[in-house]
Amino acid sequence: MFTQRAAGIKREFGSNVGGIGGGFGGRAPEVITHSGYPHRLQMYNKPPELEITIEEFESFALDRLQVLKAVEMAQLRGQGTDDCRRRINESLSKYLPMHSDRMGGTRPRQIIAERRKDHISHFILRLAFSRSEDLRQWFLRQETALFRHRYREVDSADRQSLLNEISFDLKILSPQEKAKFIEEMDIKGFYPQDEQLFEVDFRRVLDLVGRRQAILRKGRAYIAQSNLATLVINEYQKRLGRALEICAKALPRMDEDERLLPILQNMSSQYGSQEYQSTNAAGAVTADSVDSLTAHFPLCMRQLHGKLKEESHLKHFGRMQFGLFLKGIGLSLPEALLYWRKAFSRMTDDQFQKGYAYNIRHNYGMEGKRTDYTPYSCGKIITTNAPSSGDHHGCPFRHSGQDKLRAMLFHGGLKDSEVRDVADYAQKGHYQIACTKYLELQIQKRRGGGKPSVLAGSQANSGVVIESITHPNQYFDLSLGDGQLKNNNSNGSGKYAASYGSTQNYQR
Amino acid sequence: MLVTLPLVTILVEEDRDSSQTNDERHCSEKGRLFFADNSSPILPAAVPVQDILSVAKLPGIGQVASTIRKRMMSMALHKYLLTTDQVAALDPTKSFTHREFSFTIDNDVYIRYQSFKDCDEMKQEIIRMRPNKIDIGAIFTVQPKHAKMVQPGAFKPLEKELVFDIDMTDYDEIRTCCSGRRGVHCWVCDEQARCLDDAERKAIINYLTLIKGGSQQSKKVILNGNEEIHPHISRSLEIAYEHFDEIVLRDQGILDTEEQWSKLLSLIPDEDTRDTIDKIWQEDKTDSSFMKWEEFEDTLEKKMSKRGSNKQLEFTQKEIVLQYLYPRLDENVTTHLNHLLKSPFCVHPKTGRVCTPISPDDFETFDPFKVPTVVELLDEINSFEDQGADSQASTPDDHNAEPPRHASRLLPDYKKTSLKPYIETFEQFVAGIKKAAVKQDPLAF
Ligand code: SF4
Repeated sequence: MFTQRAAGIKREFGSNVGGIGGGFGGRAPEVITHSGYPHRLQMYNKPPELEITIEEFESFALDRLQVLKAVEMAQLRGQGTDDCRRRINESLSKYLPMHSDRMGGTRPRQIIAERRKDHISHFILRLAFSRSEDLRQWFLRQETALFRHRYREVDSADRQSLLNEISFDLKILSPQEKAKFIEEMDIKGFYPQDEQLFEVDFRRVLDLVGRRQAILRKGRAYIAQSNLATLVINEYQKRLGRALEICAKALPRMDEDERLLPILQNMSSQYGSQEYQSTNAAGAVTADSVDSLTAHFPLCMRQLHGKLKEESHLKHFGRMQFGLFLKGIGLSLPEALLYWRKAFSRMTDDQFQKGYAYNIRHNYGMEGKRTDYTPYSCGKIITTNAPSSGDHHGCPFRHSGQDKLRAMLFHGGLKDSEVRDVADYAQKGHYQIACTKYLELQIQKRRGGGKPSVLAGSQANSGVVIESITHPNQYFDLSLGDGQLKNNNSNGSGKYAASYGSTQNYQR
Repeated sequence: MLVTLPLVTILVEEDRDSSQTNDERHCSEKGRLFFADNSSPILPAAVPVQDILSVAKLPGIGQVASTIRKRMMSMALHKYLLTTDQVAALDPTKSFTHREFSFTIDNDVYIRYQSFKDCDEMKQEIIRMRPNKIDIGAIFTVQPKHAKMVQPGAFKPLEKELVFDIDMTDYDEIRTCCSGRRGVHCWVCDEQARCLDDAERKAIINYLTLIKGGSQQSKKVILNGNEEIHPHISRSLEIAYEHFDEIVLRDQGILDTEEQWSKLLSLIPDEDTRDTIDKIWQEDKTDSSFMKWEEFEDTLEKKMSKRGSNKQLEFTQKEIVLQYLYPRLDENVTTHLNHLLKSPFCVHPKTGRVCTPISPDDFETFDPFKVPTVVELLDEINSFEDQGADSQASTPDDHNAEPPRHASRLLPDYKKTSLKPYIETFEQFVAGIKKAAVKQDPLAF
């Protein structure tokens, strides 16, 4: 019965980039080498071509989902730390163990079964999570993190065998070539001395290039062995991203089995794809009342609001970030037009109509593609479109200098020690945690009427604890609700995280 | 070949391999070209095109500009755009017909996604619409004017020049002279560069960007103390140091007044050092910037020898030098295939100056105030034609020579003006791209 389905799945996964090549034997038992799963790490190039029962279908997928959730959680608690590593490993050994074929102690039959489960479960989730852009993003992020984790855990023979499978133009420089290159570029200390040097098209290692961890010469990137991981992981991410898109395109034409559909939907709904839904009905806020609400704005929006008042103007990205936020708190289109018209006081009506009104209507889905744009999440604000000279958008915790940030916090009524605490988080790259802390202190102060707490010790310290800030509008709602979301049903707290990823650690 | 741009080099120093001749230099496969962007603000409204002579006498530059543009701009530009044709051997005209043009007409109305079947059609449209500004976009999968007729996903940008943009306004916080609204574009036009996608462009610009942060961050260059300095940075530093005294201390005098030097002080993260230096400077406020900088260097050295090796202190000076001299690149212009580029040879509305190409040889000597203005150009055309008439009158019976007046008609207008050398620079550049494309194309003979 399931054969038909499996074939269906196969068709949809389409892009069959190369086969499982190589043939790295090592000391692996023959059975494994000649099975469909010669490598411990897979690129998942080929969809599964086998029959499985519907029960297996469901349990495999749910197990993998457990792992992906664990990966996400572990990363939140501290990406790259030992603790993170341990958490992922725990979850893996419980739900998705994959033993080495060279360590002994595990029967070949079991090893093959483990790899098969890894393979199949990956493809089922791929299918389940290709339905929307948000889901695809989430899946891609977690799968890539999982792959990165595994790549770091396995030994060099396993890595080598994976490299063989990927096979792309990668030139290893001979010691002489390496010495010559280093002399020509005059870069003695740049690469680790005892490592091999690789040359590859710069387009394969864009992030190494962007972070200047490679050296560019004539379109070729020169990378150290220690960066090879990045290369492999990038390749994995790129291929998976492409495959997900292909899958998404094929999805509407897929004759899905009625029995699978609910399972797939259920799977992905565990990571609900709702967009940020404003709890504030449009019209709740008027152009005149915006100024009275600024106490509930997160710092990023206070900054934009302040600059808008000061300069009677904001540049494009500032207008986008602030404008969509206002939309999110319930400023309707007519009110928004009124608000911005007043704010751009130095402009003639004509200039405003020509240059800006269109964009505002656009944000409300009344022009152009008619997309109803949603307010930016912290993740988006923090990671994309960093402000440059003259810009005021971005996240102060991320994009302001320490001095400016401290001044802002101080201005926000924080005590010296509190300023230090919050700024510290920001400096370590925990921007959203810093923001969360800031709001907690604000709420605490408001409850205490601004007076210092008479209770010393534990009670004073325990303070207010709120859910992590992942979205400026969530900040607003929380601040307005004194730490609670208005419609705080069981699902309520998850909705921001679900649609925009969660609190993340950012690499400076 | 894709260039690995040591941008500082391109901008303030001569190219390393100066062995090549001039022609090869700016027309080499490197395929880069620069434009002095004197044209940031858009031109005021244009009036109907009249007889050149009478238009030239009108006061409004916009009108003149429109005339000039009609006669000259499109031809030179068209040459480049057509060159990419020869590169796209598959469809000889796609790179022109599928290229987006955008016009800005009266009242700042933007008309995007225009495209033309050939040079004549483009000229006619320019005359008809009298745009105040023309921007150039990407080459698309479909003729941009037909964008609405295809499925949303089917209309996609394919190619565009890789462009680096430096805007004077980004220097507001550090410069002490000159007015804004000027800048320079660097166009990299060889095939590989044109075909880069957004992510690839982004990686390149990140590789090159050292100045980061908005108005809320005064310290914009931070070198990572845990890592070896990247060769791109060390090369940039070498070049920056060479010019620091002259440009930053002498020309800009960044330490002359307290207001100026307090900006530099804010870039020193170490409080103790900052205070020491401030004290020294306060003692004799009228010292020259040179003196003060020397005092700053001395202080840093003393602090370092006292505290032992200290990366932060060691880097402080380097970071400051870079913050003042490293090119400030507009990331968005480089990153997006779909970003519009200001058209070469357009005219600044206030000064009437033309946006001209600069050869890398001429950076040091290039003077933005010496580029021709529209009014001058018209005068030149007119006097050229007057002269033609004169000389014809004076040699009425020379039957062998071609009648000069006739010749002047045949000559393209730009050749009669001081724009000529700029257009020639452009033509040489285009010829270079062609040559490189032929070399790369295995099917070409
Ligand atoms: S963490 Fe989010 S809400 Fe807070 S300031 Fe930054 S972007 Fe704004």
